[in-house]
Amino acid sequence: MNQNFIHIVIPVYNHGKELNAIVDSLQQLGYRHIIVVNDGSGRDIFNGSPPKGISYLKHRVNLGQGAALQTGFLQALKNGAQIVVCFDADGQHNPHDIQALVAPLLNAEADLTTGSRFLSEAPESMPWGRRLLVRAGRFVNYLFTGILLTDAHNGLRALNRNAIEKIRITENRMAHATEILFEVKKHGLILKEVPVNINYTAYSRRHGQSSWNSIKIFFDILFYKLFT
Amino acid sequence: MTGIQLLLIFGVSVLGIYYVIRLRKTVADLMLMLALIGIAVSFILWPELTNKIAHGLGVGRGADLVYYVCILLFSFALLKLYSRMRKLEQEFTRLVREDALKNVEKF
Repeated sequence: MNQNFIHIVIPVYNHGKELNAIVDSLQQLGYRHIIVVNDGSGRDIFNGSPPKGISYLKHRVNLGQGAALQTGFLQALKNGAQIVVCFDADGQHNPHDIQALVAPLLNAEADLTTGSRFLSEAPESMPWGRRLLVRAGRFVNYLFTGILLTDAHNGLRALNRNAIEKIRITENRMAHATEILFEVKKHGLILKEVPVNINYTAYSRRHGQSSWNSIKIFFDILFYKLFT
Repeated sequence: MTGIQLLLIFGVSVLGIYYVIRLRKTVADLMLMLALIGIAVSFILWPELTNKIAHGLGVGRGADLVYYVCILLFSFALLKLYSRMRKLEQEFTRLVREDALKNVEKF
């Protein structure tokens, strides 16, 4: 597969331990276009020297993951991307999943693909509390968007150029995942889920979403519906 | 006039004057504010007025009616504030994003 037109956007906020290793593993698989968006981190995210061959953008203040992704999308469009993959900076995502994720886009079967932890067998390492939250999230998404996915708020996504040009993320924080579904519906884009594996390491658990965050997301979505 | 009436009239007047001087300058805003202050002061001076209106609307006491209307007004103000905050946040995001896109670094 020619990886040259695939651009990978990694939003980063106060991560650092894993970032260089993630960029390295992506580059080893042949992904040459990596865009790192530093979302106003208060410390050095590279642990010293930044990896070679990346585009680096920095928000002067912390806006949220949704805002960082939108900034990355705009940069990818500028760089001439045909496909953009969103990749988390905490080491949860597996670079080997990207190939399966972009395949439906290359075969023109979809405009956007999202990873699903539940299409393959539910991972044993997923904490039960999180499993419950994800299920609740699926139904909240369905309630608001009418799209019932097998997974909710999975950060591993791939979009073709058509989708990137049409989708505008205005929800700066985590509610962007639901906003993307609104946009998919609004623009008549085709969405497909692809089975992926998520590693729940101690590090990613520390940086993952808490239950309290899920409540905040719910209200963000509610207000998004009220005001837009 | 009782002490509480004096206190409330003073409070309403200060709020009205502050609103007109610091926040709004158009004639329509001024008229609206004057009307609202007029109504508030009338209700403070003649509280039985609120009782009459309340009974007409099927509410037991004037104080209850004022309470219900206040809840409505506060909710409205809160929503307006929230929508203004969202607009500000969007503008802020646009500026931060423009800056990031302008200063992209290639390593």
